[in-house]
Amino acid sequence: MNEIMAIAGSTWRRILRMKVVYFLIVCVWILIGSAMNYDILSLGEEKELMIDVSLLLNTIAIALIVISVTFEIPRELHEGAAATMLTKPLGRTQYLVGKFLGSVITAIIIGLIIAAGFFVLFYMVFGEPLIISLLQAHLLIIASSIPMTAIAVLFSMILPEMITPIITAIALWFSFSTSHLAKYGFMKIIYGGVLPDLDLFNFKSAAMITAGWSYVAMAAVWGAIFSVFALTLSSLIFRFKDIK
Amino acid sequence: MEDFVIRTENLTKVYGHLFWKKKEASLEKLNLQIPRGSVFGFLGPNGAGKTTTIRLLMDLIKPSEGQAWVLGQPADNVKVKQRIGYLPDGPSFSTYLKAYEFLNICAKLLKIPSSERKKRIYEVLDIVKMTEHANSKLGGFSRGMIQRIGIAQSILNKPELLILDEPLVGLDPHGRQELKDIINEQKKAGTNVFFCSHILSDVEKICDHVGILSRGKMLCCGALTDLLSETGYRLVIKAGHDDIMQKFMPEASSSSKLSDGGWELVFKENVEVKKSIDELKREKPDAITYHPSKENLEDFFFRQIASTDKRI
Ligand SMILES: Nc1ncnc2c1ncn2[C@@H]1O[C@H](COP(=O)(O)OP(=O)(O)OP(=O)(O)O)[C@@H](O)[C@H]1O
Ligand SMILES: [Mg+2]
Repeated sequence: MNEIMAIAGSTWRRILRMKVVYFLIVCVWILIGSAMNYDILSLGEEKELMIDVSLLLNTIAIALIVISVTFEIPRELHEGAAATMLTKPLGRTQYLVGKFLGSVITAIIIGLIIAAGFFVLFYMVFGEPLIISLLQAHLLIIASSIPMTAIAVLFSMILPEMITPIITAIALWFSFSTSHLAKYGFMKIIYGGVLPDLDLFNFKSAAMITAGWSYVAMAAVWGAIFSVFALTLSSLIFRFKDIK
Repeated sequence: MEDFVIRTENLTKVYGHLFWKKKEASLEKLNLQIPRGSVFGFLGPNGAGKTTTIRLLMDLIKPSEGQAWVLGQPADNVKVKQRIGYLPDGPSFSTYLKAYEFLNICAKLLKIPSSERKKRIYEVLDIVKMTEHANSKLGGFSRGMIQRIGIAQSILNKPELLILDEPLVGLDPHGRQELKDIINEQKKAGTNVFFCSHILSDVEKICDHVGILSRGKMLCCGALTDLLSETGYRLVIKAGHDDIMQKFMPEASSSSKLSDGGWELVFKENVEVKKSIDELKREKPDAITYHPSKENLEDFFFRQIASTDKRI
């Protein structure tokens, strides 16, 4: 476990040291804060708009963190940074799990920071304290980083380095659109099974409807189970890979 | 305890993957046995397969055929790595980490107890003369500085076996001398060292065993003293004595025409030849000069490589 946390630690240290991450967080806050000014768009539903924007932007921010994994793992593998780690008593599976955990933990931290900023703004604008269902909606988004990162790790193992980030981004988009795509039968085949149903995590304005803690917990558990499956597959593939 | 620190059996690597394979093997049926307590120099021209062998030993790449053991364990054993130090060829480490942080992660992976980590990290930083850069980011380091950090991480765990891929590359003259000292220190401490290098004069000074690899095949391997004493003497025939040259040519292991028109023949230790040369020396003392020659590693290396090129 110590080995896994050593790798995870170096991963979140990398992300949290990038100044662009803080720039991203501040931009997200500014966008959320300015959402209520779009009265033309919101047609008097400023509150709903602000909630939707906060959930959407938090999702995007987390997705960006996740996608950075698809840059980092292949780069570490071909530049030789991974080789230095893997020639220590560190199994290949442990390396992948470390990368996975490091990225999930970073995504959770950043997701929480964005959500906290949103709640402060929401309170300042509407004077309403923390609404539980809204908190649950944000937590669901944050929990979605678990299966998303698992996909990113898996894709980093099976796809050529050049196209991994873009394919991962498309896959995440598909996964979040399952309820819309389900209308088209054939689309279901594409995402069914391989990609997780991230719509589980996606509440948007429906957030006003109470989902309940049990739902949040179940979605998180489901995400964890999917991750175990995806990481097992990744590790099986990684076992046979040549590393520079 | 196994007598060999490194052992390979028909170790073969053909690069490529499921759908595409290179035509030629980068390493072909390598059988290597490196005894305990040796400093082994692994030599060979560019593309010979040295790095490939080392990566196979470190389980970074998988063999197409055959097997390798390090310190008595199969190369893919994760635990055995705790007793090994490895410096990759042209090391590259996560640029966003500071030198100390990087070594700290390595120390954690090597299971060095947290109470000893800091002390040990500063020890190795001192050995490679990088203490003052402990808190600088690796991204800002020069090639030689990175090489020094690479050496530091390889000796962090006081390894039983140290595998170095071209450790002298990128180091300044001081650095090279320091590295040679480090290797000597390691040897004194009982560490087995396996390294490859192109700087033959250094290899000759540091190593007691060498192996020469060419085009994926081992040409020769053994104790340096045995290999280099293989050649007995060098006979220089003055210009105009071609008859002598013709007489001795068939016995010579190598011959070359000198710029002044004379010849130089090299013989292996051979009683018959020695006798006739002694005779000749009495008859025509001016026609030849000869000296028992202990070849240096560089000559030996070129001769070995040249002989394969002829065979091909
Ligand atoms: N990742 C790879 N994919 C395909 N071929 C490779 C790969 N790595 C090495 N090779 C080939 O394997 C052969 C041996 O390469 P290797 O790197 O082991 O040589 P080397 O002896 O270390 O040479 P050098 O002295 O230049 O470091 C070369 O022909 C090289 O082209
Ligand atoms: Mg090499």
